[in-house]
Amino acid sequence: MGELDGRVAAITGGTRGIGRAIAEAFLRDGAQVVVSGRDAAKGQRAIDEIDAGDRVHFVQGDAAVRADCDRLIDETVARYGRIDILVNNAGGSANNAPVVDLTDEAMDYALHLNLWSTFWCSRRALAHMIPQQWGRIINISSLEGKVGKPGIAVYVTAKHAVNGLTKSMAHEVGTLGITVNSLCPGAIETDMMKEEGTKAAASMGMAYEDLLAWFSSESAIKRLNEVEDVALVASLLASDAGAGITGSLISIDGGTSPY
Amino acid sequence: MGKLNGKVAAITGGTRSIGRAIAEAFLREGASVVINGRDEAKGQQALADIGVPDRTRFFAGDAAKQATVEGLVDAAIDAFGQLDIMVLNSGGVVNSAPVSMMTDEEWQLEIDWNLNHVFWGMRKALQHMLPRDTGRILVTSSVEGKIAKPGIPGYNATKHAVNGLVKSAAKEVGTTGITINSILPGLIETDIVRSTGPETAQAMGLESYEAMLGVFTQESAIKKCNTVEQVAAVAVMLASDAARNITGCMFPVDGGTMPY
Repeated sequence: MGELDGRVAAITGGTRGIGRAIAEAFLRDGAQVVVSGRDAAKGQRAIDEIDAGDRVHFVQGDAAVRADCDRLIDETVARYGRIDILVNNAGGSANNAPVVDLTDEAMDYALHLNLWSTFWCSRRALAHMIPQQWGRIINISSLEGKVGKPGIAVYVTAKHAVNGLTKSMAHEVGTLGITVNSLCPGAIETDMMKEEGTKAAASMGMAYEDLLAWFSSESAIKRLNEVEDVALVASLLASDAGAGITGSLISIDGGTSPY
Repeated sequence: MGKLNGKVAAITGGTRSIGRAIAEAFLREGASVVINGRDEAKGQQALADIGVPDRTRFFAGDAAKQATVEGLVDAAIDAFGQLDIMVLNSGGVVNSAPVSMMTDEEWQLEIDWNLNHVFWGMRKALQHMLPRDTGRILVTSSVEGKIAKPGIPGYNATKHAVNGLVKSAAKEVGTTGITINSILPGLIETDIVRSTGPETAQAMGLESYEAMLGVFTQESAIKKCNTVEQVAAVAVMLASDAARNITGCMFPVDGGTMPY
């Protein structure tokens, strides 16, 4: 008996990192889960590793592309008959640079991957959640959705925007049994962090290790967070007990954010 | 297997409402729990109703008194050998009034009940937890810890203050195995809100208790009150071992009321 028995979840970017940890937590709690990712081979490998039989399914797709977002929701409903929980987890940035040197393409990419993807998937999912009067939308934002750091303005801007969208959506559907929340994790050493963090650090003229140390030093726990920290809170928000929590920007950052 | 097997918790104001729901949730997850309240008879009745005699105790006393809060920590350690989770939950509003009409006595009561009680309990619990390098301190704060309403200045000020205390203490012990968090519920129709609500409504310049409920729920996204069970679910999560990396957090359970 799990707290998500009978629930169906879709998670963008769920083959590794935070999304993967949330997928595994939801499966442990009894849900059926669809994960998406850009790379079909990586997706198949993730499904094999997760080893949850027909309760887990992979849909190839790029969260920065509208048709792929729509198809993720449509395939989720086609396969499992409904969608109860949407985790807008795919995100990130590339070609980070100080604003004075920032390209239009870097800003556009970050907005597509973090903000447009959240909008597209949420709009499509709400069309199912509103008639059934039950739903959970969980947006994986960031500490950088609340505070700024130099050199990663595209990421900071996009995550702040996601938090604004979260608050508005929460008020739109607040009386319909649907909650919408942002989770704001501190730095976690995921594969993506290793890849993009190294480049972002370079753009700020520092070593990757120094970037991580900088994040840690700003926290109370003086260490990085872990993907399981985020999955823990996601499970609570997705459950029936999460019904009273909406429009919230929940810090999972070891005491870093000032609010 | 519970999420809190073998843990020992103490809860100020645990005989009813939010504290009671947290106590029952902790018990379901395998913890032993000492609850506190002013009235011995009500406390014993609560223990009887809960019906888990081997894992529950009652410690009588007013949470606005230092001896009570510190005694509760000792009582938990005496009864169950240790203290893993301190829930500083008691608090409220009595005889509230706008600032211009607030008496020193009422102001002092709010400070002792809502703020000093949290400080006393946190300090005493930390003295026990720090040598063990493990612990969870949860403070039942409120949306009034971030936003303010007219007519309840003492409540607003003290709930803001406990949030400051939580953030500071969380940073002090951040590298130990201890986390310190606030939970910020929106309005819940607890016994205490029902009994003091009409008076509070008057202090806020509203015509009725129902009007006050409306003022609170109207600001939320869900347009209704929160429930004690929703708060208890968050408390269980934050108290669990899995939440070791969540600290200094103002955890909202407010149906979308607070703007930040």
